[in-house]
Amino acid sequence: MSTQWVIAETAALAAELIGGLRDLEDGVLTAFVGVDATEAKTLIALGADRVVALAPGNSTPWEDYVFPLVDRARTEAPDLVLVGATRRGRGLAAFLAASLDAPLVSDAKALSRREGRIQADRMVLGGLAVKTVSTDAATVIATVAAGVYAARAADLRRSGPIETLEPVAGRVRVTGRRLKDGGDVNLAGAKRVVGVGRGFADKADLALAEALATALGAELACSRPIAEFFKWMPEERYIGISGQAIKPDLYIAVGISGQAQHVYGIRDAKVIVSINKDETAPIGQKADYSIVGDLKEVLPVLTGAL
Amino acid sequence: MKRVIVCYKWVPDGADIRIDERTRTLAMDGVSWTLNDFDRNAIEAGVQIKAATGCDLIGVTAGVDTEASGKDALSRGLDSLYYLSDQAMADADSRTTSEVLAGMIGRLGGADLVICSEASDDEYAQQTGPRLAALLGYSSVTCVSALSPSGESLSASRKLEEGVEDVEIAGPAVVSVVPDINQPPFPSVKQILGAKKKPSQAVALAEVVGDMDRIRPQLRTDSLLAPEVSRKRVSLSAGGVGAADAVAGLLKALAAEGVL
Ligand SMILES: Cc1cc2nc3c(=O)[nH]c(=O)nc-3n(C[C@H](O)[C@H](O)[C@H](O)COP(=O)(O)OP(=O)(O)OC[C@H]3O[C@@H](n4cnc5c(N)ncnc54)[C@H](O)[C@@H]3O)c2cc1C
Repeated sequence: MSTQWVIAETAALAAELIGGLRDLEDGVLTAFVGVDATEAKTLIALGADRVVALAPGNSTPWEDYVFPLVDRARTEAPDLVLVGATRRGRGLAAFLAASLDAPLVSDAKALSRREGRIQADRMVLGGLAVKTVSTDAATVIATVAAGVYAARAADLRRSGPIETLEPVAGRVRVTGRRLKDGGDVNLAGAKRVVGVGRGFADKADLALAEALATALGAELACSRPIAEFFKWMPEERYIGISGQAIKPDLYIAVGISGQAQHVYGIRDAKVIVSINKDETAPIGQKADYSIVGDLKEVLPVLTGAL
Repeated sequence: MKRVIVCYKWVPDGADIRIDERTRTLAMDGVSWTLNDFDRNAIEAGVQIKAATGCDLIGVTAGVDTEASGKDALSRGLDSLYYLSDQAMADADSRTTSEVLAGMIGRLGGADLVICSEASDDEYAQQTGPRLAALLGYSSVTCVSALSPSGESLSASRKLEEGVEDVEIAGPAVVSVVPDINQPPFPSVKQILGAKKKPSQAVALAEVVGDMDRIRPQLRTDSLLAPEVSRKRVSLSAGGVGAADAVAGLLKALAAEGVL
């Protein structure tokens, strides 16, 4: 019987990876995840055969679980390991891969197994291209982001063991954790999103985008420079390869040129609209509908018409 | 801190890559090469540690035609450069790269601290730092947004989804830094001229890798194509219509799409 693993920080992400793995292949599926007993039972109902609960102490980095995981992988020899592509998850996956001398597909999509090889797609060159890679290694690791797979329906008749695992201390000690203060941004679940870019010459002009977002019932998002360089919006609101990937029904890009790194994050939007004064801007080729014009003129008209 | 190593990557400039719309293939000829964007932050992080501790700051890179990278990298404040340039790196995956870099660092006698950036512009695999740490037997700390040496140890802040995690690292480590750790300044004319005089040493693959099997890529590239564009690409301003008409056209289209 083959063995598969899911490793994730949260139960929600683990549930998606379990759903994805269950569609991919049969085997004994162990989920290593930060959960309490109730959540662990739910993951079993959702398709895991065994849940190993991870609960690192206050001074332990989550990544310290990699040491016992390496030992366990040597005896259990999982053929496929999906790791939730969170920031900690990505680091743990790479350390695990090098320790086991296994290939790791980062941010894998469209995972499949054919003729004994695991194949997957991933975006490269800042979103300019999709690279399809494959491997016949005995253990294959992949990181998978939230939203790639869906959780299965719960089957409450399923049962399975719930264990715990102790991290093995390394030489890194956590001395403090400072949680971000609220301002909960829910771009991932938003149906409509208005994205603002460097076409906004003045911070005060953002009011035009806010008015549009309010009229549409949309969330506000932005390109990287607006968050990282101008700091006009929190970083959780920037879209793209190094920011958020979203899948709204409607994305309106205002004053955004449409560089590959940005478009990476809106590829799964149902409809993309661009408002840009330059008719040759790349976004025109990447949008369903474009209005060529000055945002200061177009936005009030659009908001007024809604 | 006696010796700090910064790993950087020499990458194709994405802005130069042309796409054939019909075949979705990429034209890489005539593409210029450049220092990986995020690695400027990694080098600057090293420069700041050097300012605080007086350490030796060495740049390490492995790739194809990497000697061309020396001028730019050294002008940013590295003391010296140790580089490997080999056609075998053309289809390197993260395993290949980290094995080669680990071999190079081993040949230099190791380091107190190795600084990488989070990702490269071309592959964006986010693997090199933690893989290097595993191969060298060092600690791995990713997503580092602040770094300060304190005596024998090192304190760092990590930028994670839910907030910031402060850590203390004892012993040698590989850190991966995020771009907001610093704002790398443009090199001055003096630095650019000075770069030419800095020591730069090439090393051959056979000198750093004992078993060539270990640098064989484990991931085979089956295809590399521009993503399929399935967008409608309708311009509502075609024919020079004004904002009011364009907006009316847009609202009609969005209503028909069922997204309003
Ligand atoms: C490694 C790496 C990772 C990156 N990751 C990301 C990422 O995750 N997300 C991201 O967004 N970017 C990312 N970038 C940056 C990206 O390459 C672009 O630089 C960025 O997306 C451009 O932002 P922009 O479209 O707002 O600005 P610009 O490219 O400057 O475009 C501004 C646009 O506004 C238009 N405009 C100007 N004035 C007006 C007006 N009055 N009315 C209407 N239109 C107007 C202009 O015609 C232009 O098209 C990354 C870059 C690198 C190297």
